[in-house]
Amino acid sequence: MLIKVPSVANLGLETIKVDVEVNLASRGLPGFEIVGLPDKAVDESKERVRAAVSSSGIDFPAKKITVNLAPADIPKEGSLYDLPIAVGILNSALQFVIPEKSLFLGELSLDGSLRHTKGALLMALFAREAGFQNLYVPKDSANEAAAIKGVKVFPVENLFQLASHFLNRKNIEPVEYQEIPDDPPAPAEFDMKEVLGQEQAKRAMEIAAAGGHNIIMIGSPGSGKTMLARALPGIMPSLNEKESLEVTKIYSAAGNIPPGGSLITCRQFRAPHHTASPVGLIGGGTRPHPGEVSLAHRGVLFLDEFNEFPRQVMEAMRQPLEDGYLTISRSKERVKYPAEFMLVASANPCPCGYLNHPKKNCVCTPRQVRKYQKRISGPILDRIDLHITVQPVDTREFSDNQKNSELLESSEIIRQRVVLARKIQEKRFEKDSIQSNAQMKNSHVKKYCNLAKEVEQLLRQASMKFQLSARSYMKMIKVARTIADLEGVPEITISHMAEALQYRPKIYESI
Amino acid sequence: MNQSNLATGKFGEEIAKNYLEEKGYKIIEQNYKTKYAEIDLIAKKADEMVFVEVRTKRGEDFGTPEETINNKKLRKLWGNARAYTAWKKWQGSYRVDAVCVVLRYDNTMERINHYENII
Repeated sequence: MLIKVPSVANLGLETIKVDVEVNLASRGLPGFEIVGLPDKAVDESKERVRAAVSSSGIDFPAKKITVNLAPADIPKEGSLYDLPIAVGILNSALQFVIPEKSLFLGELSLDGSLRHTKGALLMALFAREAGFQNLYVPKDSANEAAAIKGVKVFPVENLFQLASHFLNRKNIEPVEYQEIPDDPPAPAEFDMKEVLGQEQAKRAMEIAAAGGHNIIMIGSPGSGKTMLARALPGIMPSLNEKESLEVTKIYSAAGNIPPGGSLITCRQFRAPHHTASPVGLIGGGTRPHPGEVSLAHRGVLFLDEFNEFPRQVMEAMRQPLEDGYLTISRSKERVKYPAEFMLVASANPCPCGYLNHPKKNCVCTPRQVRKYQKRISGPILDRIDLHITVQPVDTREFSDNQKNSELLESSEIIRQRVVLARKIQEKRFEKDSIQSNAQMKNSHVKKYCNLAKEVEQLLRQASMKFQLSARSYMKMIKVARTIADLEGVPEITISHMAEALQYRPKIYESI
Repeated sequence: MNQSNLATGKFGEEIAKNYLEEKGYKIIEQNYKTKYAEIDLIAKKADEMVFVEVRTKRGEDFGTPEETINNKKLRKLWGNARAYTAWKKWQGSYRVDAVCVVLRYDNTMERINHYENII
């Protein structure tokens, strides 16, 4: 007897249909075999299915059972085939009809209950495209799948419940499609008003958030670089529906969505430690997994102590910084992950940290300083739009400021300005495939950033004086565009450009 | 101990033999010894030669009889079958079956299962 139960396989962010064929032979010794390139997790599902079926009060058939995962030449991984295999075996024992246009996914526990399984959202997206209507997923993963309109998601608690559902004894109620909640508050560790002083740095943060620009902060220890970065999520706009889906797809594939979780609506803030490996940051492995740059997609990748990162790791980020995606090629698989992130880096100016400090003396030799600063490669610095120096806060002002903390701008107020600037950009790039000023290609710059004669003259003079590269030249225009957007002005004026030029690349100017 | 394992096995083989005969098999050999090992039963039905391995267990508390047939035993059974057919110059088809017998402690039969073509 042959039973076909449809399921899926996720290769990176792509999904293909997999037919789980369960055959119960009338001849041969009782046994259980899975074929179709299963990995260890799929192969072990034999034991889980056997225990789960018996725990549900159904005798496990004493027959020779062969399970084929078709197409047989694509490697299958993960625990999602537990449910389709179990459904096939239950069907042979109970003789129910599997409704047409259904897909199954889920990991079984030994007691027959279903556990949260990764990839539910990817399956729901595939179901919508390929015309499948009914999805049977674990209860904990149901919200994730229900984020897609037009599919019926059945939250399954355990095998017994599913069997009763198919035998029409007790039906499972499908989960309702869930609208994305409007403008949820982004959780941030700090409010911008907790950061005392540093008005210039806060302004730069605002510009970076508004235009999606990369930013590097250089300053002495304790000046508030990390605090500024950690306050950044509080001023970032929330994701729109399309972006939210993109981000959730990556998290679903990586299995990073908590049980019961649904769409990710706030921008992600990733802060990997500087001991991260290239594969951890970029993604990879024999079965390619998304790395930190992809998990930070449409969000912030914060690299604290930037020059402590190994050279190899830094250089590997060059391509995703430019293209907004990366292709991981391994001998058996090629996977494309999006990586449209905003890089926020912080670093000290020298090994002791007090170079150019107004009060303290730097104890480093020029050679040491040069060696330290050279750890950040030129090509990477060139790809960063905003360069700011964070000055130490005077502790005498500090106590005064503390009292005035209520008078400082809170994250919420800054965020409103950022959101407005983003709205302008959204409207501008309606017909293009980009979302923010930082993503503009040269053709976009030509189209949207008309410079008046005197503005262009200023930029040309500055680029001669500061030896700006062609890329930096373009970046200055983009930053000026964002500053103008923050003000809500359609034309870039000379004051916008002058401010943008303050954020030019200047790390090597001090030596 | 009530009965030795050897005696249990013999008893099970008798049960299996009767069972197969009832199903229309003609038993041609019992406990036939080849160079490698012993074949419990050799039977014939519809011009097919059937080599039968009988497994008997007294109670299933310490495992089922099916479990005791491992890959090594399967290879041995196949080798035996080939040796026998070669020796007898048998040209027709042949297969290896298993009969698993589970006895209660008072020597009454709890279940008997016949598995065809197990290799």
